[in-house]
Amino acid sequence: MNEKTRFMLALITPAALVLILFQVVPILTGANASFRDWTLHDPKRTWVGFANYLHVLRDAEFRDIVLPNTFGFMIATVACSLLLGLAIALMLNKRFPGRWLVQSFVLLPLMVAPVIAAIMIRWMFNDQFGVVNAALEGLGVAPISWLTQRWTTFAVILLTDVWLWTPWFALILLAGLQSLPPEPFEAARIDAASAWRTFRYITLPMLRPVMVVCIVIRAIDAFRTFDIVWTISGGGPARATELFSLYAYVEAFQFLNLARGSAAAVIGAIIIIVFALLLYRVLNRFVEVSR
Amino acid sequence: MDIAAVPARSAGFFFALAPRGRAVFFALAAIAACLLFAFPVFWLILTSLRPGTGVYYVHRGTEFTIDNFHEVLSQEIVLRALFNSFMISTLATVLSLGVTATSGYMLSRFKGPIPNAWFSLIYIFRCVPYVAWVLPLYFVTQQLNIFDSYWGLLLPHIAVHICFFSWIMKGFFDGIDPSMEYAAMIDGCSRWGAFWRVAMPAAVPGLTALAILCWLYTWNEFLFALILTAHETPILTVVMAQFVHELGMEWHLMSATAVIALVPALIVTLFGQRYVIRGLRI
Repeated sequence: MNEKTRFMLALITPAALVLILFQVVPILTGANASFRDWTLHDPKRTWVGFANYLHVLRDAEFRDIVLPNTFGFMIATVACSLLLGLAIALMLNKRFPGRWLVQSFVLLPLMVAPVIAAIMIRWMFNDQFGVVNAALEGLGVAPISWLTQRWTTFAVILLTDVWLWTPWFALILLAGLQSLPPEPFEAARIDAASAWRTFRYITLPMLRPVMVVCIVIRAIDAFRTFDIVWTISGGGPARATELFSLYAYVEAFQFLNLARGSAAAVIGAIIIIVFALLLYRVLNRFVEVSR
Repeated sequence: MDIAAVPARSAGFFFALAPRGRAVFFALAAIAACLLFAFPVFWLILTSLRPGTGVYYVHRGTEFTIDNFHEVLSQEIVLRALFNSFMISTLATVLSLGVTATSGYMLSRFKGPIPNAWFSLIYIFRCVPYVAWVLPLYFVTQQLNIFDSYWGLLLPHIAVHICFFSWIMKGFFDGIDPSMEYAAMIDGCSRWGAFWRVAMPAAVPGLTALAILCWLYTWNEFLFALILTAHETPILTVVMAQFVHELGMEWHLMSATAVIALVPALIVTLFGQRYVIRGLRI
């Protein structure tokens, strides 16, 4: 081992130790459980191969509700917060009086604990005491029982997630916008390009590398969302808004089948690893073509 | 850069408006954004100021009180949780940055099988959902005898940050010209010296930005705190969420605690936002 290799290994040793002990070992322990029979009448935990995986993949609940929910949620939340965040970043990139105040207001969701935000929003959409229904009543619209129907519940969850994550997009995209070199914009001005064409042909292509990283990281995190869904709906009504993290949790802790829950979690992890890799490749190729 | 001052050629809703109309439209958009993002926080503050009997109709009552804050701050567990959350967030920030700065530097400066293997490892394990991770983690911390202690919460938090921060740090170091480090090494600096004295100072803006984001994230984190701590080390997010459960809905106390928790986060964000924006220019 030469001196360079030793240096490389020394640089990652602390991170690798923490990662192996507190992430790799627990996850492999869980994955081991997914190959065993975890039901109560089998204390020996017999090795059953892929039986738990097959069970999850054959489960109509998983195939027809959980997977579409998860992908729908991921695409919707990433798209909405990206567009909204981009609009806000473009707005904050201009100079106007009160800009600092607007920026501080927009960053508020970053300061609130997501679980508190979720509790608060659930409360605001409460059908009897919530402020949203009170406002609707004031406008003369019949109150809606938000959290008892699939699509309205889904909308509330989506709204919460977009509310929580748009500032994150806005912050990173604003940093990206401010780091762009001024020369192309000056050239566009001299050529009297319209604001839209400047945006479409200069700002957007130059911002794309930052956007790709944002989208991939956020898509992975959205895919494994757990706490806000758990707080707002608990997966209900009647498991209709379950995402796959909730499915794994419900299988493991409510139906007390840790093996099946672990199998579901591993399946989800494999799906998102492949999906994120493809997404990264496709978006990156898109960036290169656009140059 | 004042692009809007250039006369627009192409039509479009926004650009068809007269300059005055455009300014009004812009102001309305700014106000709408403020309202959208501030309203739940505003509602939280309003709820925290209402007496316990009035929280069910927050939008109707007119009584206001600050008794909730007195009541919450007189509970010993809330004070301990405040202290613990502060310590955990600060220590987790320092340690995560220390660990990931070296890892990001390694990913940025070297090519070959070792960096590739390291990157694949952190990438793959980032995709595993928390649900598959947190429960076995509980057993691991019990085995190591660090359950419900500072280390038992700190080390998993560092593990969470390793992937994302290494990725971002790699970006920071990619933006720093390595020729300065080569020059330092020719002048007799060791590899560690080049990293510590040349590369690290140049990465300070990025490190500041990440430090602020990391502190806010840890301060507001819930799931790990819920599962990895018990009575010995109360954490603020868990304590506040416990005011609202099936047996008792103490919205006023939960909101008051949440508002108290908001104050340090607010201070950090208000003073830190310009450093974050400056530092994240990857």
